[in-house]
Amino acid sequence: MATNPMHQFEVYKIGPEITLGEINLSFTNASLFMAITAILILSFLFIGTKKKTLIPSKMQLVAEMSYTFVAKMINDTAGSSAKSFFPFIFTLFMFVLFANMVGMLPYSFTVTSHIIVTFVLAAIVFVGVTIIGFVKHGFKYLELFVPKGVPVVLLPLIVIIEIISYLSRPVSLSVRLFANMMAGHTMLKVFGGFVVSLGLLGGWLPLGFSVALTGLEILVAFLQAYVFAILTCIYLNDALNLHH
Amino acid sequence: MKNLKNITTRLEIAKKKIKKKDIKDQGSNAASMGNALKISTELVASVVVGSTIGFILDGWFDTKPLLTIIFFFMGVAAGILNVFRSAKKINEKFK
Repeated sequence: MATNPMHQFEVYKIGPEITLGEINLSFTNASLFMAITAILILSFLFIGTKKKTLIPSKMQLVAEMSYTFVAKMINDTAGSSAKSFFPFIFTLFMFVLFANMVGMLPYSFTVTSHIIVTFVLAAIVFVGVTIIGFVKHGFKYLELFVPKGVPVVLLPLIVIIEIISYLSRPVSLSVRLFANMMAGHTMLKVFGGFVVSLGLLGGWLPLGFSVALTGLEILVAFLQAYVFAILTCIYLNDALNLHH
Repeated sequence: MKNLKNITTRLEIAKKKIKKKDIKDQGSNAASMGNALKISTELVASVVVGSTIGFILDGWFDTKPLLTIIFFFMGVAAGILNVFRSAKKINEKFK
């Protein structure tokens, strides 16, 4: 086992190298774990909804609960007009949640601990929400940057600040998920290294910390998926209803 | 059908229990932690985005380092605005 705590984030290719012009399209361990995540979600929902009974089995109950959880979240934060975006937000939530949880297994790879993955997810949300806003409201959508009741003298300053605040959305969305996952996994590995280097005599304290941190990490894994989904709903609400 | 009747009564008892518990822990720890993580990154991200915009504009107009400094403070303002809005939203929920 490598003792370097950052070694777990290394991306390496599996199988032959595939290049398309200048772009390297090789299948990596990151792609493998993304595929595993997608297959896990599909099989979980497929098995959960296979035998539909009035009194649900445990598997069906969990599948139905995940549906109600996301549906309620959309209804509470974005209103009923956002109902048609349910498939997108459900997919986003399940992907982030399962990617985080798969990363908690020993010897696995955490896809969401790479900023490029989380940034692409956030960029899809950002560009999508902006397009929805412009389609729904036309150029009136730009009123989002002009708050009401501001003196004309201050307006140029306020508009620039509002634009920066709008542009910071994808950055904060992606950095939050990436930083939490990477920091947590690095910390787990560092404490694991302490257990080995302190041996039988002093290794018990870091071992206890490791166990506690694993629990905390599972909470964070769920929480980050929840925050990612709920912020998508809030941004969607801003685009659909146009009032702060 | 007997089984169904049975589960209705069991569900009602369980629901009553949940109601009792709900009153006790309003605003759970997990939700508060989610809010804390949300707000802290919002403050930082705006500053980074503001400074980056200033840096790029500096390159265009050849005014190093004036615009970087100005946009850094704009970013700080935007960050505080973001935090203020999020806090307002949380307050509305508890009213």
